[in-house]
Amino acid sequence: MKKNLLIFSTLIKVLLFPAYHSTDFEVHRNWLAITHSLPVEQWYHENTSEWTLDYPPFFAWFEWALSQFAPIADNEMLKVTNLDYASNETIYYQRTTVIASELVLFYALLKYLSVKNDTIHKIVVLSIFLNPGFFIVDHIHFQYNGFLFGILILSIVLIHQKNDLASGIVFAMLLNFKHIYLYLAPAYFVYLLRAYCFEKVTNDCSKFSLARFATLGASVAGVFAISFGPFLLLDPIGQLSQILSRLFPFTRGLCHAYWAPNFWALYSFMDRVLIFCAKRLGVHLNEEAVSSVTRGLVGDTNFAILPNISPRITFFTTIAFQIPSLVRLWKQPNYENFLVSLILCGFASFLFGWHVHEKAILLVLIPFSLIVGNRKEYFDIFLILSVAGLYSLFPLLFHWQESVIKLLLYIIWLFFVGFGLSSE
Amino acid sequence: MPKIRSTKTTTPSSSLSFYYHDSPAWQILAWSEDVGILKWMLYIIVLFSLFIRCCVALWGYSGYNTPPKYGDYEAQRHWMELTLHVPIDQWYYYDLDWWGLDYPPLTAYVSWICGKIGSAIEPKWFTLDESRGHESPDNKVFMRMTVLISEYIIYVPAVYVFVKWYYRKSTQKEQLLYFFLIVMQPSLILIDHGHFQYNSIMLGLTIWAINCYSYGYYVIGSIFFCLALCFKQMALYYALPVFFYLLGICARDKKVGLNLFLKLGITVIVTLGILFFPFLSSISDLQQAMIRIFPLYRGLWEDKVANFWCALNIVVKLREIFQIHVLAKISLLATLLFSSFPSYITFCLSYYSHQPSLSLYTLSAVSMAFFLFSFQVHEKSILLPLMPITLLIGDGEWEKSKMVMWINSVGLFSLYPLLKKDELAIPYFVLFILYNWFFSSSLSSTLFLQSTAFTTLFSSKLSAIAAVLPLSTYMPIILFHMLELFLPPPQRYPDVYVVGNVVFCAGWFGVIYLGLVKWHLERLRQLERERVTDTKKVD
Repeated sequence: MKKNLLIFSTLIKVLLFPAYHSTDFEVHRNWLAITHSLPVEQWYHENTSEWTLDYPPFFAWFEWALSQFAPIADNEMLKVTNLDYASNETIYYQRTTVIASELVLFYALLKYLSVKNDTIHKIVVLSIFLNPGFFIVDHIHFQYNGFLFGILILSIVLIHQKNDLASGIVFAMLLNFKHIYLYLAPAYFVYLLRAYCFEKVTNDCSKFSLARFATLGASVAGVFAISFGPFLLLDPIGQLSQILSRLFPFTRGLCHAYWAPNFWALYSFMDRVLIFCAKRLGVHLNEEAVSSVTRGLVGDTNFAILPNISPRITFFTTIAFQIPSLVRLWKQPNYENFLVSLILCGFASFLFGWHVHEKAILLVLIPFSLIVGNRKEYFDIFLILSVAGLYSLFPLLFHWQESVIKLLLYIIWLFFVGFGLSSE
Repeated sequence: MPKIRSTKTTTPSSSLSFYYHDSPAWQILAWSEDVGILKWMLYIIVLFSLFIRCCVALWGYSGYNTPPKYGDYEAQRHWMELTLHVPIDQWYYYDLDWWGLDYPPLTAYVSWICGKIGSAIEPKWFTLDESRGHESPDNKVFMRMTVLISEYIIYVPAVYVFVKWYYRKSTQKEQLLYFFLIVMQPSLILIDHGHFQYNSIMLGLTIWAINCYSYGYYVIGSIFFCLALCFKQMALYYALPVFFYLLGICARDKKVGLNLFLKLGITVIVTLGILFFPFLSSISDLQQAMIRIFPLYRGLWEDKVANFWCALNIVVKLREIFQIHVLAKISLLATLLFSSFPSYITFCLSYYSHQPSLSLYTLSAVSMAFFLFSFQVHEKSILLPLMPITLLIGDGEWEKSKMVMWINSVGLFSLYPLLKKDELAIPYFVLFILYNWFFSSSLSSTLFLQSTAFTTLFSSKLSAIAAVLPLSTYMPIILFHMLELFLPPPQRYPDVYVVGNVVFCAGWFGVIYLGLVKWHLERLRQLERERVTDTKKVD
C-alpha cells in the first residue's frame, strides 16, 4: 500500500506540472535566487522583487539547499533581477522540489502508522497524503505545505510516543520554517508545560520540575539561536528588527485579498450591509472607508460603520477563544486532549486572526484527520468541515482549465474518505 | 485512493485466472465491495478517467505556438470557422493550403456545431481567416471540452454497454475492472486530449455498431458504422470484417438473408447519401470531396510510421524505385492479401457457427494488416487496431497473459516520436507507468511478463524462444528512453532514435498480427472439426 500510494500520488502530481501557478511560484523562485546569489546578511534586506523573503530563517536555508540543485534545470531562475521568470525547466524544477519535499510528510505518516496501525488510521493516512488541499495549494497554486505538515505530524507522533522534549524541539524547528504555526503554539505550550515540566509524584499529585523546565527552555531557545543566531552575529539590532518586520507585516490588512471565510469576513459583510442600509436612509458616510474593505492586500482595512479592528483586538479575541480548550488540556494533559486543543487553537486563529489566508484552513483540517477515528461525532464534524473547508480553497484556482480538475479532486476524495471512514 | 485490504482472500468468482487480480485497481474495487460501495464505483471510474484526461489536457497540443502552419489543433479550429462561414458547397475547395478540409462530411457537421456553440461564447475564436493561428487559453479550454464531451457522450457509454454485454458472465467487479482498463487506454487519451483529435467519436461509433450487432440490430448497427466511416475515413480499416460478418449472417438463412441483405444495402446507401447529400449536386463536387478524403498525392506514409513500408524503406528506398501510383497498387494488394484470411474466417464464423457478434479478433487482425500495409498511414492510425485489442481485455483466451496491456504499451511506445514533438513526453511517461502499474500486480512483474505473452501468442512449443527473450519489449523500451535522454544522436544519423522506434514497433506489430492470424487458424480447425462431427450426426 505504501509504495503504491507514493507511485500513484507522484504520477498525478507530475501530470499537474503545467497547471496554473500563482504568484507564490514567483515568490519562491525569487527566494531561490536571493538565497543562492546573495550573502546571508542581505537575505532579509533584498527588495528588488515585491515578494521579499518573509519566512523565518530555516525556510531561507531550505530554499538555499534547493537552489544548490537548480542549475541542473535552468541557471536563469537564480538571478535576482530575473523577475517573473518561468521557463518550462524552472516550473518543472520547482514543482519537483515540492513533490520531493513532500517525502517528509510521507515519512511522518509512515511513522504515524507505526504507532497507530489499524484500518481506520490507514485510511486517515491516505486521506492526508492525497488531500485535495495539498493538491490545490501545493501542487497547483504552489507552496510547500506538505513538507511543513510533515514536520508537524512528526512532532505529534513524538507526543504520542511520550517523547515530549523531542516533540518540543521539532515544533520549535517548524516555527522557524514557517511562523504561521504559531497559531498552534498555545496548545504545545500548555501541553509541554503540564505534561513535561511537571513530574508525577503520585497518581493525582505532580510537582513542578525546574530542571525539566530549564531543559525544555534551553532546547527551544537553542533552536531559535541556531536559526536567528547567524543573523544576530552579523548585525545584532538591525537584522532582528528587519526580520521581525518581514515576518509580522501588520501593515497588511485585516482581511487577505481574497477573504478567508472567517469571522472578519462576516464582520466586513455586515459592514457592507449596513453601508447599503445607511445609504438608503441617507446617512453620510466616509467615502474612503466605503471603498476600502476589499483592498486587504494593499493596506489597512477601514470599516464605514462598524468599529475598526486593530491587531490587538484580533489577538485577544483569538486567545479568548483558545482558552477553554487549553484549560481542559491543563487539567487532563493526554494525547487526545492535546490534539483537540491543537485543532481548536488553529481554528480560533483561523476564525479571529489578523490577515488570515484561506489556505490556513489546512491547519485545522490536517490535524483533525488524526482524531477522526476516535468518535462518531468527530467524523461527522470532520466531514462537514472538509466539505466546507476544501470548497473554500476553490477561489485560489480561478482559471477555466483547472475548474473541472479541482472539482473532481474534491468529489473523488470526499467519496473515498466519506465511505471509507464511515464503514469502519 | 484507499487500497487497504489484502485481496489474497478474494478469489475470482469465475474459473478464469488472470493477472489483474493483485493490481491496485483491483484492490480498490475489492475494497469497495467489502465496504459496500461497489455500485458507486462506476461513477468514480468515470470521474477518475475524466480527471486524468483533464490533467493531460493541461499539456501542449499539436502545433502549439509554432507558426506559420501550426498543427492538428489549428486544423480542427479552422474547420470550425470554415464550416461556420463558408457555403457548404465550397467546403472542400476553400483555401486548401491552409488546412483544407480532408475528412468526410460528418466531421465537418460536428465542426459546424462546435463552431456555432463556440462563436456564441466568443466570436473572435472563429472569425473567417482572421482567426488563423488563434490560440488563447480560453479557446484551448473550449476546444478541449468539445473533445471531452463528445467522448463522454459517444465513446464511454459505448464501452460500458460493450462490457456489460461481452463480459456478461463475469462478476460486476470484473466488469468494472474491464471498463476501467478500456477507458484508461493511454494512447487514445494522449492523442485525443494531448495531441488533439476526435478519434474517440469514430471509435465510439464503431463500438456502438459492434454493440448493435451483438444484440441483433443489424440495420441500426450499420447506420452507426456508416456514421463512423463518415466521421473519419480511417474506419475503413474495419470495413472488411464488418462486411464479411454481415455477409455471413445474410448467407446462413436463405429465407431471411436476402431480405436482410437488401435492407442493409439500402441502409448503407441511404445513410451515406444523406451525409454526402450537399456534395452530390455535381460529379465534380463529389470528386473533389473524394480527392480530399483520399489524398493519393500525400505518399505511402506520413512522417515516420511503424509499419511495413516505412521499416522496409530503411533498406530498400521504395519511393525511388516505384512511382506513387504503383506503390498505391502494391500496398492495396498487400493489404487485401493480408486481411483476406481473417475476413474469410469471420464470414465462416457467422455463417457456420452462428456466432452472434462481430469477432474482435478479426477486427484486430484486419485493422493491424491495414496499419502495416495500406497506403497513407499515420502513426496515429495505430489507435484503430488498439481499440478492438483493448476491448479483449478480459477475454478468456487472452486473459492468462497480459496480452492487451503489453500490446498497448508497444502501441503507446510507437507514438512516442509524435508525442515528443508536441511536448507531451512527460504525460507520455506518466501514463505509460500509470497504466502498467495500476492494472498489474507489480511493476517489476510487468517487466518480465512478455514471456507469457509470447506463449499465448504462439503455441507452447515456442516457449523455448520465449524463455530466451524474457526482456524483449519493456527492457528495450526503457533502454531506448535512457539512451535518448543522455546520448544525443550522431550527426550522420539524426533520426536514429525515430528509426529505431519504427523498426522495433513494426517488428512487434508484425508479431502481433501473426499471433492474431494464428487465432484464426485455430478457429478454422475448430470449425472443420465441428463440421465433421455435424455431418457424422446427420449420417
